[in-house]
Amino acid sequence: MEAMSVRKVAFPRYAEYNCAFRYIFEEAMDVRCIQPPAITRRTMELGAKHSPEFVCTPFKITLGSMIEALEAGADTLLMVHGLCRLGYYGELQEQILHDLGYRFDFINLSEYDMGKKKEYIKIVKRINPKVHLAKFAAKFMEGIRMVEYLDEVTAEYYRSCGFDATGGQYKAAYRRFLTALYTARTRADIEDAYRAVRQSFQTIPINKPLRPLRVGIVGEFYTVMDAFSNLELEDKLSGMGVELYRWMNVTHQFFQYSAQKNMGVKIRDLCTYEMGPTATANIWYAKECAERGFDGLIHVKSAGCTPEIDVMPALQTISGTYKVPVLYLTYDSQTSDVGLMTRLEAFYDMIEMRKKVL
Amino acid sequence: MEAKKKPVIGLPRAMLYYRCRTLWHAFFDELGVQTVVSGPTDRVVLERGSSRAIDEACLSLKIFLGHVEALCGKCDYIFIPRVSSFGRHRNMCTRFEALPDLAMNVFRDSGQRFLTCDLDVLHKKDEAAAFLDLGQKLGFPPRVVRKAYKTAKKAEQTQYKRLVRAQEQLYKADGLKILIAAHSYVVEDPYIGKTVTAYLKKAGAIPIRADLVDREEAIKRSGELSYTCKWEMSREIVGSIVMHYDKVDGIILLSAFPCGPDSMVNELIARRVKRVPMLNLVLDSQSGTAGIETRLESFIDIIRFKGGQL
Repeated sequence: MEAMSVRKVAFPRYAEYNCAFRYIFEEAMDVRCIQPPAITRRTMELGAKHSPEFVCTPFKITLGSMIEALEAGADTLLMVHGLCRLGYYGELQEQILHDLGYRFDFINLSEYDMGKKKEYIKIVKRINPKVHLAKFAAKFMEGIRMVEYLDEVTAEYYRSCGFDATGGQYKAAYRRFLTALYTARTRADIEDAYRAVRQSFQTIPINKPLRPLRVGIVGEFYTVMDAFSNLELEDKLSGMGVELYRWMNVTHQFFQYSAQKNMGVKIRDLCTYEMGPTATANIWYAKECAERGFDGLIHVKSAGCTPEIDVMPALQTISGTYKVPVLYLTYDSQTSDVGLMTRLEAFYDMIEMRKKVL
Repeated sequence: MEAKKKPVIGLPRAMLYYRCRTLWHAFFDELGVQTVVSGPTDRVVLERGSSRAIDEACLSLKIFLGHVEALCGKCDYIFIPRVSSFGRHRNMCTRFEALPDLAMNVFRDSGQRFLTCDLDVLHKKDEAAAFLDLGQKLGFPPRVVRKAYKTAKKAEQTQYKRLVRAQEQLYKADGLKILIAAHSYVVEDPYIGKTVTAYLKKAGAIPIRADLVDREEAIKRSGELSYTCKWEMSREIVGSIVMHYDKVDGIILLSAFPCGPDSMVNELIARRVKRVPMLNLVLDSQSGTAGIETRLESFIDIIRFKGGQL
């Protein structure tokens, strides 16, 4: 076996999407994937220690995760490009890791012109020159399918898991689904996992009131989805018995966004232009939730996230116009669990009282 | 539109005003539109802006909102362009994309009207198109607007060349030369950046501005230091450092807290540019300059000590 020459690729932890990264690396590109360990306080502290002081928190967490991946044996790191500071993450992280003394190959998507299809092939060929492109394309699409299933099931999970009548079966089904995705090797594995979890969700008894509290979550792309980064906001909130709605996920933002460009039309009164990479979607969804009579909105971002700070005045306008309470949460590397819980409980009490009165 | 009485346009003296003032003034003058500029930044402007801004926003935005508030009710429109990109890897900080909508939401209740245009080369809207749109919004025929833009652009280029030439002279001067790497709206702002340059001059050093540089060449050369840097104004500064770091005695990385691009680019500069003494100075909304002066003083002492002059 030529196992010695095969790359060991790693991508920093990002919510539960690493299952798809693993699938694409291993099944589509025929390289080994080193899964960085789940993010812990140590990851955060490692990253924060070596990062510039006032860079956004996802930079620190992904840097920490990269260090842990290198410790776990990765020899190639991948970093994505982006429209905000994210587009510059790669070069600075590479420099920091080199200065620390790590040796590795760094694939920085910001170096490529991601508007062109040819560039994607270049990247794939760089990761594995012997890759079979037709097989890659097919397997890559299966990885995408995995992300779509994950997002769909996660959305459904947080709409109902707070009302589980069995005391844990709902969560267990979701956990089983995640495990299946992390270990999937074929398309059939993915489809089976999806079918199984759908079936469970339909059969597990749910005890939902006729008009449950509904809360919409909007926010910055990394922090709003990554459970460690937002201190398990969604688990905490749904545990109180709240129906949670979050539009922002990889499926919507990347695979379906082009079809939803017209969302700008609905928020003409709030913004004329695209204000940032996720601004239009967040303002649109916040307005959508407000119009549908949600009981509250939560805006999640990491400290210093420029685009999301700029969205906040528009959210304040929505809050005033539709009389919907908005909780603004900012996460940095010091945010405490207890402080968040207190704020969430207060927010919950407030929207619950409003619901009874109004 | 208001064809009878020409509107008065307000220009906030903050952010891109420092970079584009010649162009803006010349353009509006050429069209015969009256403009009014807010006064220089002072403590009151900053305090008013801070009370309007989200706490975490950068110092520059707080100052900007203070200037917008100062103009509210004093003009028919406040001009805030959206500036997004000049090409691939030539973006602006997302804040400049958000500025017009941000201001409109913050000042929604004031009844103040705003005037904007969209500069986004990646989406096929270059500067000429943006100004054409702007002029037409004011009710001028395209032919007149195009001519006004052309004249204004020429005026800007002449003026800018003069500025660059003056800076180039400074590199050849004798004395302790310190390159200040900062955005124009930081280094030129009388309340924040000017205090730094003023102190340096008082201490006998020659402050040179990195952002006043042949922009095209600087953009090209910035790749030598940072190959994926994608912010237009940061690239100009990075390129300028590449071009000049061996001609100066020290570099001050001056930024406004917590500037997004600077938080990363300055870190990279500090990691990659060796051999030149460097000071990373972050300005925040604290009043009083004693702390900054102490740091500048010790920085100058270090340079002199290194050169054997102390």
